Amino acid sequence: MKKFDKDRLILGIAAPVLAVVGALIVTALVIVATGKEPFTAFHVMINYGDKTDSQVYILNKATTYYLAGLAVAVGFRMNLFNIGVDGQYRLAAFFAAAAGGAVSLPGIIQIPLVIVTAMVVGAVWAAIAGVLKVTRGVSEVISTIMLNSIAGIVIGYFLQGGRLGVLDKSANMVSTKPLPSSGHLFNFNTTGGPVDGFIVLAVIAGLVYWYGLSRTRFGFDLRAVGRSQSAAEASGVSVKRMVITSMLISGAMAGLVGMPTLLNESYDYGTDFPVGIGFTGIAVALLGRNNPIGVAVGAVLWAFLERASNGLEFEGYDKEIVGVIQGVIVLAVVIAYEVVRRYGITRQQRQVGAELAAAGTKEKQEVAA
Amino acid sequence: MRSGTVHALVGENGAGKSTLMKILYGMQKPDEGTIAVNGEQVSFGDPGDAIARGIGMVHQHFMLADNLTVLENVVLGSEKLHGIGGRARARIKEISDSYGLGVRPDVLIEDLGVADRQRVEILKVLYRGARILILDEPTAVLVPQEVDALFDNLRELKAEGLTVIFISHKLGEVLSVADEITVIRRGTTVGNADPKSTTTKQLAELMVGSELPSPETRESTVTTQAMLTVQALRMAEVDLDGVERVVLDDIDFTIHKGEVLGIAGVEGNGQAELVEAIMGMRVPDGGTVVLDGQDISQDPTRKRREDGIGYIPEDRHRHGLLLEAPLWENRILGHVTERPNSKGFLIDTAAARRDTERIVREYDVRTPGIEVTAASLSGGNQQKLIVGREMSHLPKLLIAAHPTRGVDVGAQAQIWDQIREARREGLAVLLISADLDELIGLSDTLRVMYRGRLVADADPATITPEELGSAMTGAASGHLEHDRDPAAAAATVGSEDTDGSATSGGEDR
Amino acid sequence: MAFDVGGRGDHSFNDSAARGMDKADKEFNIGHKEQTASNGETESDREQRLDLLAGAGYNPVIAVGFTYGDAVKKIAAKYPKTTFGIVDSVVDSSNVDSMVFSTEQSSYLAGVAAALKSKTGKVGFIGGVHNTLIGTFQAGFDQGVKDTKPSDTVTDQYLYETDTKGFNDPTSAQGKAQGMLDNGVDVIYTAAGLSGDGSIQAVAGKSGAWAIGVDSDQYQDAALAKYKNSILTSAVKNVDVAVYDLIKSVHDGKAKTGTNAYDLKTGGVSLATSGGFLTDIQSQIDAAKAKIVSGQIKVKSTP
Repeated sequence: MKKFDKDRLILGIAAPVLAVVGALIVTALVIVATGKEPFTAFHVMINYGDKTDSQVYILNKATTYYLAGLAVAVGFRMNLFNIGVDGQYRLAAFFAAAAGGAVSLPGIIQIPLVIVTAMVVGAVWAAIAGVLKVTRGVSEVISTIMLNSIAGIVIGYFLQGGRLGVLDKSANMVSTKPLPSSGHLFNFNTTGGPVDGFIVLAVIAGLVYWYGLSRTRFGFDLRAVGRSQSAAEASGVSVKRMVITSMLISGAMAGLVGMPTLLNESYDYGTDFPVGIGFTGIAVALLGRNNPIGVAVGAVLWAFLERASNGLEFEGYDKEIVGVIQGVIVLAVVIAYEVVRRYGITRQQRQVGAELAAAGTKEKQEVAA
Repeated sequence: MRSGTVHALVGENGAGKSTLMKILYGMQKPDEGTIAVNGEQVSFGDPGDAIARGIGMVHQHFMLADNLTVLENVVLGSEKLHGIGGRARARIKEISDSYGLGVRPDVLIEDLGVADRQRVEILKVLYRGARILILDEPTAVLVPQEVDALFDNLRELKAEGLTVIFISHKLGEVLSVADEITVIRRGTTVGNADPKSTTTKQLAELMVGSELPSPETRESTVTTQAMLTVQALRMAEVDLDGVERVVLDDIDFTIHKGEVLGIAGVEGNGQAELVEAIMGMRVPDGGTVVLDGQDISQDPTRKRREDGIGYIPEDRHRHGLLLEAPLWENRILGHVTERPNSKGFLIDTAAARRDTERIVREYDVRTPGIEVTAASLSGGNQQKLIVGREMSHLPKLLIAAHPTRGVDVGAQAQIWDQIREARREGLAVLLISADLDELIGLSDTLRVMYRGRLVADADPATITPEELGSAMTGAASGHLEHDRDPAAAAATVGSEDTDGSATSGGEDR
Repeated sequence: MAFDVGGRGDHSFNDSAARGMDKADKEFNIGHKEQTASNGETESDREQRLDLLAGAGYNPVIAVGFTYGDAVKKIAAKYPKTTFGIVDSVVDSSNVDSMVFSTEQSSYLAGVAAALKSKTGKVGFIGGVHNTLIGTFQAGFDQGVKDTKPSDTVTDQYLYETDTKGFNDPTSAQGKAQGMLDNGVDVIYTAAGLSGDGSIQAVAGKSGAWAIGVDSDQYQDAALAKYKNSILTSAVKNVDVAVYDLIKSVHDGKAKTGTNAYDLKTGGVSLATSGGFLTDIQSQIDAAKAKIVSGQIKVKSTP
């Protein structure tokens, strides 16, 4: 039995490793095609990404990406493609920032208030897509894309001077009223700069995700729906309710995505609040096979690549190369998982056959004896 | 195998029949060994290579597009042979006539019955020039009369010099149609048999090394205590064309403790809908379902399962298993709220694993361990796992839809024994099966379902498969009396109307 | 130089800044390094970028675009010996050169030209994002039109309220411009960075209509060569001048710091004349310019 587990682990790791190696080869070819030398480029990336301040930067970025990856992974686990994480986290962060800026309470209340507001807003926004799916059969892919756009417009409407926005002194930027200092989350100060305190909550979110999915009845039902909707239905899972519940959870998780930035860095939601992290989350979740540790690895890799792109540009390489690596990795991941999955199935069938055949021979020998 | 013969391939499930057929049809590659067609050694990379060599496969599950005509289905993918128009139509006519298939090229597939569809499948491979036909369990979906017609077709093909490889579990059929029989067990050939001098019993012994099991129920255990009462169950369905079709029409029946109620019928006459309505997977338009004195009509599926309904689904891949999940997770499926699978809201993985080990042991599920995925087990072993799982929760009512379909003889006997044993302890069983021997042998009461109605009932002690078969095609209804002359039985229209279902055989769809 | 989103090649103010740097680089032979912002950045990305440049010993470090404001303030404090430049924003630190442009003045002249060239009496303004910076363009343009032809109407529209995507969305600008043209507007002034390309494209599709470009002299832009005969003029913001000035001052050892306003008087902003479409009205434009320079006309910077 132990042997089986070890094999599965190797198979599990094989796909992402294959994907990354494949992506590096393609990237090397691209660099060669631009007339530059690929190995120096990789050397620059590694050296640069390895510096202390780079490590801090990577950790902080990865915290955000990790949460986005988890939010997407919750949906993936039951075959729901929540493309709307992007809109969900932005809307959630915006209203959480507005709520947090409007009141001034002790930190012990202020910070949870901001976080809970974000989770509720994210969940509600995601639930719209869930409700549309179960009542009207609208594909969540379509509805969440639309909701992303609507979220942007809603934020644009409220984020204006006189509504929920405050203009900065030169008035070229609009942001929500800054959080009072009680709403600032702690940081870990290192020589390379502060590491976001929210990383602790991200780790907790990962643990909850793991425990909730693999150890609870609810998680079992959710995974059952993902593996076979018809079998889950027959087993007594209400698929419709599960769709809405998982969208709520995915949305609540998405609500956390903007929190490291809001509570540890910007303290307000302005026009310069990062966008597009929801899409990064899709790539990270794919890369991490929806596994909490895998997603963490994917998030760190993604952050490392972004960091490395600065170093590349500095050395005169095109920073778009990192975009190529990222794109190729996602593509390669999809292919590699399918290849490894098929190989795994064939292999397991062969093993089952072999063991049964062996058992059969033994039986025969016993009869003969 | 020699040309111009019907060669039967029999063996337990997991014996390697499917694998062998896949290799012959180019869907899988052998590790070693050779295949020779007409004395010439060949190797197939994909089914295209096999077709080019004149090998054609008729799958157990038909591969036809319902909304296309017969002609369109036949030419699909081989447009180059005879075009898609008049030439193709003429060629289809020619094949149909020369082998007596009676296929009309311009009918929509969805308007055809199961037997007709099967003939289209056969024509499809002949059209592509097949000289060797592989038929995978072709009789599983047919009623006895249709089986006879199929065998006539096969004899026709044989007479024209074609070779047929025939896979079946039904040993009687094998003996009646095959010229030669090969028996395989655990991946090797264990013997050949001459159908002229072999009995089903001998054949079965060759296959499993044990006696042919009998589904017969010896003593009656039926009590007067009602376990499941279904009343006035109705369900209509709107199909893709927007036409409303009644799929369940006023269904009434009662199953008592210790009783097996068998439902016979050609597939697609409402059996699946009936099962899903009782399971709560579909909402009927009217009627009540009472389990053990408690009205469960409004309860969700999970509540019904917790209340004691065990379910062996017709399609285990779709409804019974998570193919990509390990066995122990499949043991939890459907019983996630029950012990030993969970404690409160948490899954008890250790207990579930232990219990899976027990099921694997007690129900003889052949697997190297409980961490392998369900998909890697053979069909029979998957079914044993499902039966073991459902029986482990001591159900009050077991819904068994085709419980031994695609299961080898050994496992079949075991499953029958399980059902009989539980029945002695007061289990009520709703049995739906296409295997008439199984229905007659296992049931205490028999009903026939036709176009959404329970049109006839019969006493399993006296009825024959042929008589039951007539009622299944709508030719007879009411109470079926056994008669020495099957033709007379088929014409019998009973006047008794015990369950209130109307007697009708000719209404339009 | 740390560019804003779009970077070198945006046909607009990033390009303009790059020109200034290239000129200085060539003249003083000092070498340079470029870093470009990408979409969806956080404050820390911008800080890291400036930190990287300053840490590598580059001096001056020039941040293009107001989004760098806070980052410049923070990193300038960390490297007191390095001179920083910021375009379009004011950062109150002793080692920072805040380059601000009186774009309302050049926009005023654009308004004069628009009013004189319009046959329908309807002119339009398209802003990328509805913020204060773009508001100065609108204010100057509106005032210039009204002072020249009080009866003319000006339609003012913005692509986005707050989203900086407004500087990078030509399709949206094209749609807005098309809508204006359909309503009889025949001169459109677009202050929206790269989005302006879309507006110019729409205007070029209608004969007799004029587009007014922004930031760089867009008539000279190779990418817009196809449409250049529809580009009446451009309200040029000579970021290159400011950038060159700063680099030169640092090179000369007298680093320029504090808030430096670039206006019509100093040549920091101007109205382009390429194409010669303004020849017939040049005297009126020159007159307006003289009045602004002399202070006789005060151009408002808010609409």
